[in-house]
Amino acid sequence: MSKRKPKPAATPPHLVLCYAVTVILFLCAVQFVVASAKLLAVGSLVVALLSLMTTRHLLSKVERAQRQQSLLDAQLIQSQKMAAVGEMSSGIAHEINNPLAIIGQEVEWLRHLMGNLNTQGLDGFSECIDSMNEIGKQVERCREITHRLLSFARKMDPLIQRVDINKLIEDMTRLVEREAVQKGVRIIRDYWADLPQVSTDAPLLRQVILNLLNNAVYAIGRDGNITLTTRLAASDALEIAVSDDGCGIPKENLDKIFDPFFTTKPPGEGTGLGLSLCHVIIERLGGYFSVTSEVNKGTTFTIRLPL
Amino acid sequence: MEKVKVLVVDDEPDFLETIVKRLHRRNINATGVESGKKALELLETETYDVVVLDVLMPGMDGIETLKHMKKRKPFVEVIILTGHASVESGIQGMQHGAFDYVMKPADLDELINKIREAFERKTIHEGRQS
Amino acid sequence: MTATPKVLVVDDEERFRLTLAKLLAVRGLDVTTLGSGQEALEALRQKDFDVIVLDVRMPGMNGIETLAEIKKINPMIEVIILTGHASVDVAVDIMKLGGYDYLLKPCSLEELTDKIDSAFERKLAREPQDRR
Repeated sequence: MSKRKPKPAATPPHLVLCYAVTVILFLCAVQFVVASAKLLAVGSLVVALLSLMTTRHLLSKVERAQRQQSLLDAQLIQSQKMAAVGEMSSGIAHEINNPLAIIGQEVEWLRHLMGNLNTQGLDGFSECIDSMNEIGKQVERCREITHRLLSFARKMDPLIQRVDINKLIEDMTRLVEREAVQKGVRIIRDYWADLPQVSTDAPLLRQVILNLLNNAVYAIGRDGNITLTTRLAASDALEIAVSDDGCGIPKENLDKIFDPFFTTKPPGEGTGLGLSLCHVIIERLGGYFSVTSEVNKGTTFTIRLPL
Repeated sequence: MEKVKVLVVDDEPDFLETIVKRLHRRNINATGVESGKKALELLETETYDVVVLDVLMPGMDGIETLKHMKKRKPFVEVIILTGHASVESGIQGMQHGAFDYVMKPADLDELINKIREAFERKTIHEGRQS
Repeated sequence: MTATPKVLVVDDEERFRLTLAKLLAVRGLDVTTLGSGQEALEALRQKDFDVIVLDVRMPGMNGIETLAEIKKINPMIEVIILTGHASVDVAVDIMKLGGYDYLLKPCSLEELTDKIDSAFERKLAREPQDRR
């Protein structure tokens, strides 16, 4: 449930120094004892003990500060979640109101048609069927929204396994490539050789990559390039980048794209949950998810994951 | 790995027989059924760890079967088999909880690797709940 | 004096505006439909409308922006905003820009036709007598 347990602190350098000083002082004390310099021996012993006590006190303070920090982190995540829930609720309401409005109108029209049937006979029948079908379609649309919302809300506790990232990305790419190629979209791979395995949740990561690939193809439309890059970013992290030379994201939308329900697709297409889900997944995997974009130039999504 | 119990679901009897035989030869406990419906029935009575599921089948198609499986048996991991003509279903499968996919014709080594990873995931998952 | 209002419905959901047009037409209203704020403004250069029903959330120009532009072209036109959620800010914006009122989607046909009728009444009352 808690996504980031505080890592046991790598002893900070200044504490190591404190310990070193303490040891040296003890050795001095021993040396003085051996040299029968009683006063100096007692003196350095006292200083050594003081040093030891200070060090341990500092260490416990550091630990307490770290515990408080992770508590604050948890609270921040929780309040962010609550704020997100508030936003999500009005997002859902808005999304579902459109299909409901259509259903309401179709019902009204059906009432009108049924009235006519009495007088006009079965001529109006096919229109009745058409209205009914539209109602069915809109109900389906509502269902998609609520179901995707439920899967968004479901606790996604990552299950950690060792994963070959290049292979994972390549697998997902092959799934998308067939159709992409038919639209003139080329997918270029730039994989880091000998990328170490990562401890992460493979199926969740697959969903993220698939989502990004689909978005990239959509952004391009026809004829363009998608570039997939993997690289070792630091000794303890790797980066995956999905770059397209499609339509790009306007500046005013950039900070909205991770919001649940934000979408620029026409009504009924795309519920806007994809990128916000990706963001949540990557965060839960202990990583960072970010985007850069320029209109008509293209977009790059970057995922940073701990090894 | 030998302990893993695999259920293969595919409506092509030749393909099904071949895959099950090849898995047996690699010492993997595999059973084959020809429909999603039969697979779901079998899952109620027998335990399986990993299901290898053809995503494009008539009757109850692969995605429907997958959805039911994830609902009834959430711990069972599913690897979907997708053909070049059913890429869309492959993507859908990933979005509906499949662990991974293999494209037909299936490379046996790749399939076995993925079965192993799926089994490992199941074990971790079950371990967490206890 | 039973003049029928010339109504323009602007909503990016095609099915919504088409069925609404049919429903309003059988009630005797003169209805045109368009799919975007941009198209609405272009149409205003050609044709006169009495009441415009605008969805607040549309790609391109949203309802509020379109309202502002409509008022610049012809301040006499009454505008009703349809919104999927009622926020105080949106309501204030609408009133400040001279919108007639807003309705929460989904709304019943009765509610909408009543609103159109009263908006039209206000337009007639505000117009100089000789125009009618």
